[in-house]
Amino acid sequence: MSRRMVTAEPGAHPETRSTLLEVVDLKTRFRTDAGTVHAVDGVSFTLDRGRTLGVVGESGSGKTVLSRSVMGLLPSRNVEREGHVLYEGTDIIGFDQKRMSQVWGAEMAMVFQDPMTSLNPVMKIGNQITESLRFHLGVDKGEASATAVALLKSVGIPAAEQRLKEYPHQLSGGMRQRVTIAIALACGPKVLFADEPTTALDVTVQAQILDLLAEQQRERHMAMILVSHDLGVVAGRTDEIMVMYGGRVVEQAPTDVLFADVKMPYTEALLRSIPRIEHPSHARLEAIPGRPPKLISPPKGCNFAPRCRYAQPKCTEETPPLVAADDPRHLYRCWFPVGSAEGADALARNLADGTTVAYPTSPGSAPAAATPGTDGEGA
Amino acid sequence: MAGSGTAHLRPDADALLRAENLVVEFPIGSTGLKVNAVSDISLDVLPGETLGLVGESGSGKSTTGRALMQMPSPTSGRVTFDGRVLSELSGAELRKVRPEMQMIFQDPNSSLNPRRTVGDIVAEPLKIWNRGTAAEQRKLVDDALESVGIDADAARDRRPHQFSGGQCQRICIARALMLEPKLLICDEPVSALDVSVQAQILNLLQDLKAQHGLTMLFIAHDLAVVKNVSDRVAVMYLGKLCEVGTPEQLYDRPTHPYTAALLAAIPVPDPAVRPDGGTRLAGDPPSPVAPPSGCRFRTRCPMAQELCSQVEPTMREVSPGHHVACHFPLADLPAESADGPAAVADTPATDDGEA
Repeated sequence: MSRRMVTAEPGAHPETRSTLLEVVDLKTRFRTDAGTVHAVDGVSFTLDRGRTLGVVGESGSGKTVLSRSVMGLLPSRNVEREGHVLYEGTDIIGFDQKRMSQVWGAEMAMVFQDPMTSLNPVMKIGNQITESLRFHLGVDKGEASATAVALLKSVGIPAAEQRLKEYPHQLSGGMRQRVTIAIALACGPKVLFADEPTTALDVTVQAQILDLLAEQQRERHMAMILVSHDLGVVAGRTDEIMVMYGGRVVEQAPTDVLFADVKMPYTEALLRSIPRIEHPSHARLEAIPGRPPKLISPPKGCNFAPRCRYAQPKCTEETPPLVAADDPRHLYRCWFPVGSAEGADALARNLADGTTVAYPTSPGSAPAAATPGTDGEGA
Repeated sequence: MAGSGTAHLRPDADALLRAENLVVEFPIGSTGLKVNAVSDISLDVLPGETLGLVGESGSGKSTTGRALMQMPSPTSGRVTFDGRVLSELSGAELRKVRPEMQMIFQDPNSSLNPRRTVGDIVAEPLKIWNRGTAAEQRKLVDDALESVGIDADAARDRRPHQFSGGQCQRICIARALMLEPKLLICDEPVSALDVSVQAQILNLLQDLKAQHGLTMLFIAHDLAVVKNVSDRVAVMYLGKLCEVGTPEQLYDRPTHPYTAALLAAIPVPDPAVRPDGGTRLAGDPPSPVAPPSGCRFRTRCPMAQELCSQVEPTMREVSPGHHVACHFPLADLPAESADGPAAVADTPATDDGEA
């Protein structure tokens, strides 16, 4: 077994809280016939070794493009990237594919949403695992397949030796996702991007896979970026959460701080729209009216304003900056934050008027969804 | 779970839809093997009621929904809808019943014809059944689109790809309601949608149900979603029913180990609730080609005993309206065997069937 495969004791790391990955003002734009899509619009974050960052947002919020931009997995045609991606202090944003191939798998790896399409259907599972082992670590065939068996066992696949000779279609969805995790972990990456790793899976299997990721992360002292649309998935499993909307970070905080003190109306709205098991049945859900913003020529001002219960004229004029709350680690992007005097005033005004600055222009949505809920407190 | 039996059914005359001993099998080529998709399921839905059907992928919940619609007809079993026995009707007779039962599917994009305009798509049921003049049809289409929150003037001449997933689902709902059905079968209608849009669609379905006096069968894998919409919930596993009851009964006092495991697996949007690995269900569901003997859940059940592999449990009453098919339910019931529920409750949680 190779040097990289040795799993480390968490305590054995002197550099436990050091920065592994730093992303500074990352912008990703797609040039299309219809115009330029600002898919990621100035995102910054740091990720320490062994820590987990959750990235949450609706479809089209830019969360997937963000993780692919950081890893340099986007096609070079029609894509512009700007900003810095510092991996262990080196800016990898200018790396060409040849240099990135030394990073992929060995330093950063990714688990994708749909295990059926991320596995090669005409290649045996064993070869898919040993491919990166042989490329990065230069081990011989025998050693590589011994490692592959160990990997499959570590991700909870029974009869690992036989599985090596099977094809992806012979496995269930949960087993396939275990295989993609084994592939991602093969060369001992220091950071794992998990892009909606359980969205295609059943709830019982989802729990198994999230447990597995957490366990492997602990054993390997690996950092992880967990991308999900489900706040429930990231709540119990991340150290920090970044909420994205329309390509921007709209709120970012340590997980417990975020849930205890939501500042951004969008985060509050997301939390309130989730059907909760503890609520009685037929409870009216607080839907967010309208839909996510277009990323081609985004509107002036806050891009959540058209759907926001707190929206005021100022919101459609000026883009709010990302500012810190009382806790300096808690950042949000709002003029009228939840839980503040301004926010309460804004909401009271809108509720009194029965409308906001933006609802009348929002097509196809039910403005009734903006009516007040039973409780005023978010989270 | 696996259980069979009809103890949970209510008096025959009350139900709008009633299925007894429904079986759906799909033969696999000429191998002589068959997929036991639905094995002896009985359920009923009263007028105005929403029955939620939950289960993992492969549990047969979609197949059940389709078998009730007779598309395709079940291998065996009796389906009664509004006093008519669907499983005995001829094709022509069945066709006449169809407008009264409509269906909404999971993926709104693939259930709308991409080459037709939204106006055409929604008007099609009216054209097929020759309801009204062209002008009347147009009025009905506009009303239907507006009632689901779509601007008819803007949408009529556009095609599905110009709409978001949530809007496409609204269009599907408008089409399904065009003929004023009595029964609406929703097969995972919100699982392809974002949580914010999901809430919009769930609210819309509730509103339309009240407006049109609909009876619904709501199929989904998300227990929280099912709780939100349902008056009664049935839990399926590998082609069998496990537990039936009101949402309160099922979610507050789950008596089937599978229901309990499903509930424990739901991620909670609260960091104070740390995921608990102790009650985790191990492994995947077995193949429906060769389902386990006795109770089909026994291979993953933390409570399984010898009896479970030999005898299939049948539905029995836990409390009024709450039924479970389990030999060792998580509730004080008259025990069916020497091993009572007390012994069961102490059984340690799952052994690791996978590693």
